[in-house]
Amino acid sequence: MSLPDLALQIIYGRLAWALVAAAVLLSLLPRFMPARFPVVGRRLIATVVGVMVALMALPGAASPAYSLILVFQYPSGLMLGCCVVSLLARWRGREVRFALRPGLALALAVAGLVLYLDAFGVLSLGLYYGGFGPVAAPLLACLGAAACAVAIVRGQAAGSATALLIGVMLFSLLRLPSGNLWDALIDPLLWAWALGSAIAAAVRWRALRNAIALPPSPQPQPAPERDPELLPVHAAGIDKQL
Amino acid sequence: MGASRPLLQRPASLALFACVLAVAAMTATEAWRWSRAAPPGGMMPAAVDTAVPPTVMLTELSNTLIPMPQGVPSAHASALASLPHGNLISFWWAGSRESGPDVQVYASRWADGKWSDNWVVASRESLGKVLGHGVRRIGNPAAWTAADGTIHLYVVATGMGGWAASRVVQMESRDEGASFQVRRVLPMSPVFNTSVLVRAAPVGLADGGWWLPIYFEIGYKYPMLMSFNAQGVPQRLTRIGARKRSLQPTLVPVSATEVRAWMRDNGADKRVQQAVSRDGGLSWEDLGPSTMSNQGTSLAVLRLSSGSLLMLRNHGTTRETQRSSLSLWLSNDAQNWQPLADIVNGQPGDEFSYPAMFQVGDELHITYTYQRRAIAHHRMKIQLGKDPL
Repeated sequence: MSLPDLALQIIYGRLAWALVAAAVLLSLLPRFMPARFPVVGRRLIATVVGVMVALMALPGAASPAYSLILVFQYPSGLMLGCCVVSLLARWRGREVRFALRPGLALALAVAGLVLYLDAFGVLSLGLYYGGFGPVAAPLLACLGAAACAVAIVRGQAAGSATALLIGVMLFSLLRLPSGNLWDALIDPLLWAWALGSAIAAAVRWRALRNAIALPPSPQPQPAPERDPELLPVHAAGIDKQL
Repeated sequence: MGASRPLLQRPASLALFACVLAVAAMTATEAWRWSRAAPPGGMMPAAVDTAVPPTVMLTELSNTLIPMPQGVPSAHASALASLPHGNLISFWWAGSRESGPDVQVYASRWADGKWSDNWVVASRESLGKVLGHGVRRIGNPAAWTAADGTIHLYVVATGMGGWAASRVVQMESRDEGASFQVRRVLPMSPVFNTSVLVRAAPVGLADGGWWLPIYFEIGYKYPMLMSFNAQGVPQRLTRIGARKRSLQPTLVPVSATEVRAWMRDNGADKRVQQAVSRDGGLSWEDLGPSTMSNQGTSLAVLRLSSGSLLMLRNHGTTRETQRSSLSLWLSNDAQNWQPLADIVNGQPGDEFSYPAMFQVGDELHITYTYQRRAIAHHRMKIQLGKDPL
């Protein structure tokens, strides 16, 4: 096993939770306080990120990170990557949607389910232990990074690929957050987010399929509102339009 | 929270350069790590004499209670480790009650035939200060003295929740236990790194490393081990068997490649559970329940230098007597156990539990929880007969 130093973990924990909290807050503010925050401008983004970093940097129990790490330990590198990508997208004035890209969400939901069933003892596969492997795990991380790089350069699923690249880079360069590859790629909060995103995408997909299967109406109907998730240009929750 | 529009609108050449740089940096870093990594191998149990061991007889030399902190009513879960010159150090947790906020891990040194006054080695405040995050509860300690004299202490420290939210903190002391430095929280579970605990003593390996027995506790309960190299760096994490109702493993090598594990039972068998590894701890298979009763209580197994195996366990068979007595059992083949000595016999409802054993020369040291009020210590002379059992 190659594990990160405790000091590095402490810095990562505070910075990562600050960025995750900022990304969550910036996604909630326009939704729940639209009158006060109709648009998320750069000044608001900088303020929220700055305040979160300052809060998390407070000493001891005064820092929210003190309690967040007590309960949740460290966010995965991929979770941090998703949040960084969303913050960058907002900074550039892009539209940001809460749901993860369906393909990524489904992969994370399935992988997380197997990993957690194994961790809870329902299965006996030893999957988590493999994430510490001295050869296979680093090799997988490097191959994953190369695949992400190709996707980014080609402009395919660039948001997801960038988030994933951030996750595996943190693992390979610094062994964050825990020294285990799976901890770099998934955590229970990200898994819940992915599961919700996958279910939402499935519901939308089924609704659209039912709509297509309806017989033609004799009366002209208003055009149904198009679901952005299923449009080619919005097929990726955190990705570029094609 | 994802951007639905292009993230990278810079020139493609810049994205290409950044990606190539990222992948190259990762590859170079991993290659550098591989070049520095120790060659595979090692991590095998220390060599053991597989000849039929001689008969063992025990004579009690002394028994006493380890000095408790003043005004602290509850104590539990002792662990033993060696010190230079044949001395010992004991660790246990004590406080107002189990899981109480004032519970701390204490230590006491055995030297010149007596225990020293105790001192605090870990509290939730001291751990929280160094770890940079909160600790809710302090629990079981386990300890190992490395060949260089460093004492490695593993302490259960919980997150939000009860023991199911446990994590294991690795600490070390280079001054014979006078002070401890926190090294890390050991990563053992993908679920917020929770529900992993220590209880039994580590086992030494041929290369100077050791195995730390651990177990997962929330819902299903299953045993694991984490191996360390001689410097105390974690090397591998392995599940012991596939059974879902066993916990608190105690490990003993019985040959160069075969290792046995005995576990507290959390299922319907009410028997000491067993598992075996025939490849030096890499993989494990369940052996099923032994013939010995276990009403959900912790046990300890030790291989004496003579080769015999000693098991210290509660032998009560009812709920009232499950922890009211402790007895030693002897085996030469890890399968057939014979009663050797009663260590303590109490009344129904008494508690003498969580035993620990350590051999120093021709003396066997035993500690256990005494009525949840203190830690008892027995010292026994080991005498070897000529005839095997």
